[in-house]
Amino acid sequence: MSNHVTIAGAYEIPPRRYREHSSIDLFRMILGGALAEWQISPADIDGVITTTGGDITGHDTYIHGRLISELGINASIAETMNLGGGSHQAMVNRAAMAIHEGRANAVICVSAGKMMRPGLGAADAMVRAICDYNLEGPYGPWIAALYGLVATRFMHEKNVTAEDLARVAVSARKWALLNPEARQHEAGPLTIEDVLESRMVVTPFHYLDCSLPSDGGGVVLVTRADLGREWAARPAFVKGYGEYHPRGTVSDPGSLIETGAVISGRKAFAEAGLTPADIDVAQLYDAFSSTPLLLLENLGFCEPGKAAGFVNSGAIDPGGSLPVNTYGGLMSFGHTGESSGMSLLVQGAKQALGTAGPTQVENAGNVLIHAYGGIMFYHTTMILGDEP
Amino acid sequence: MSLPVPDIDDVNRLYFEGTASGELRIRHCKRCESLFRFAHAWCPDCWSQDLDYKLASGRGKVETFTVVHQAPYESFEDRIPYVIALVELEEGVRMMSNIVDCEPDRVEIGLPVKVAYEQRGPVMLPMFTPDV
Ligand SMILES: [Zn+2]
Repeated sequence: MSNHVTIAGAYEIPPRRYREHSSIDLFRMILGGALAEWQISPADIDGVITTTGGDITGHDTYIHGRLISELGINASIAETMNLGGGSHQAMVNRAAMAIHEGRANAVICVSAGKMMRPGLGAADAMVRAICDYNLEGPYGPWIAALYGLVATRFMHEKNVTAEDLARVAVSARKWALLNPEARQHEAGPLTIEDVLESRMVVTPFHYLDCSLPSDGGGVVLVTRADLGREWAARPAFVKGYGEYHPRGTVSDPGSLIETGAVISGRKAFAEAGLTPADIDVAQLYDAFSSTPLLLLENLGFCEPGKAAGFVNSGAIDPGGSLPVNTYGGLMSFGHTGESSGMSLLVQGAKQALGTAGPTQVENAGNVLIHAYGGIMFYHTTMILGDEP
Repeated sequence: MSLPVPDIDDVNRLYFEGTASGELRIRHCKRCESLFRFAHAWCPDCWSQDLDYKLASGRGKVETFTVVHQAPYESFEDRIPYVIALVELEEGVRMMSNIVDCEPDRVEIGLPVKVAYEQRGPVMLPMFTPDV
């Protein structure tokens, strides 16, 4: 896949609580902002891929058709897809495959999200969406609790402490303080004690171990490499991609902590011809503070059992050897529901494009982005680079 | 919303018929001998649809757990803090349940547990208590 496909632009609206805005409003804000920045016109675009926008009534099932109509384009490929948090890199991959095969030239991949709020039918819809309603639902699971099951096992097997988890949140806040778009930009620095003193949500997660519910979204422009060179000063080349959906759920057999990231990561590295040592920046999905630790090991950045020490050394902080979640992460930047993975993708692409502004990492040649949907089940790993 | 009650369907009917009479059943594939939860209409290992069931001993151990301090919605408010666990049955099958009649602080990975039942609407739900 290398050499042929680039991300020529990446744009995201700041995550906030856009309470008065519907998901279609958010799609318009995202596209309006991007089109004002990108010097392109309708004839340049021949594909639209989107995710659903968190519209619980289901009006967003065919959102790609609505966006094609509003944008006034004729598309050769179009799709509304949903792999949860893993959707966004999969969108780029679907676009890249089409471009690779000559079926499209320039594809808009856009995502908006509104984090679900309590309300009529929301609780029942939540249980049905995230778990097996009949065999799991009666026991009172919700997203944080399902992650809690994985995290408790991870901490047990790898000797990881609550302080180690908190240190991940501390790092995310350090990055958010550099990023004016982050929701916690003005919140001041965070300490391990702050995290441990915040209220317990579900063990092992304190309130500040959790990501920050938000609304928002973003868009990337995926193009033939020659168009990428024309439209961007330094396009981000799609160097490698891996996707893996292991069978089962948390209640099924299989390791809870050796996730599909092991295989999706291996595939992405193989396709890019790179190893973890070649990666300059990593965006690792941090719905909760435990997941970057687990992913650092699953993706091969750390030997098993070594991630906590790595994070405690400051390695993932600003100025560290492997900057992680350079925009503040889902914990301090914001978690935008259906669009959560788009933040990692946009911010990863901006690092490779050299347009990450105050959070730009010097010499961000190779950027790895790992996201997943479900409770760590739909895994997507992408490696972007500043050269083919 | 009241506490969630399972929907009885063709995949799980035999399971909940079992719990109603105090039997914890696990799905068994007659072709390849796999054991699995009543979550599949066919064997997930060989796709045979020739299935029956075995009786589980009802004993197992906690593989992992979480103590829920913030309820997902109102009907669970008066249960907090409650424990959700993944229990590995003696037969090797994993299932989700609650650990009940036990201080949450006492729950740990490896804790031996045994099945108990809670009436939930028309359904008897398998729960687990420490097996002392
Ligand atoms: Zn079988």
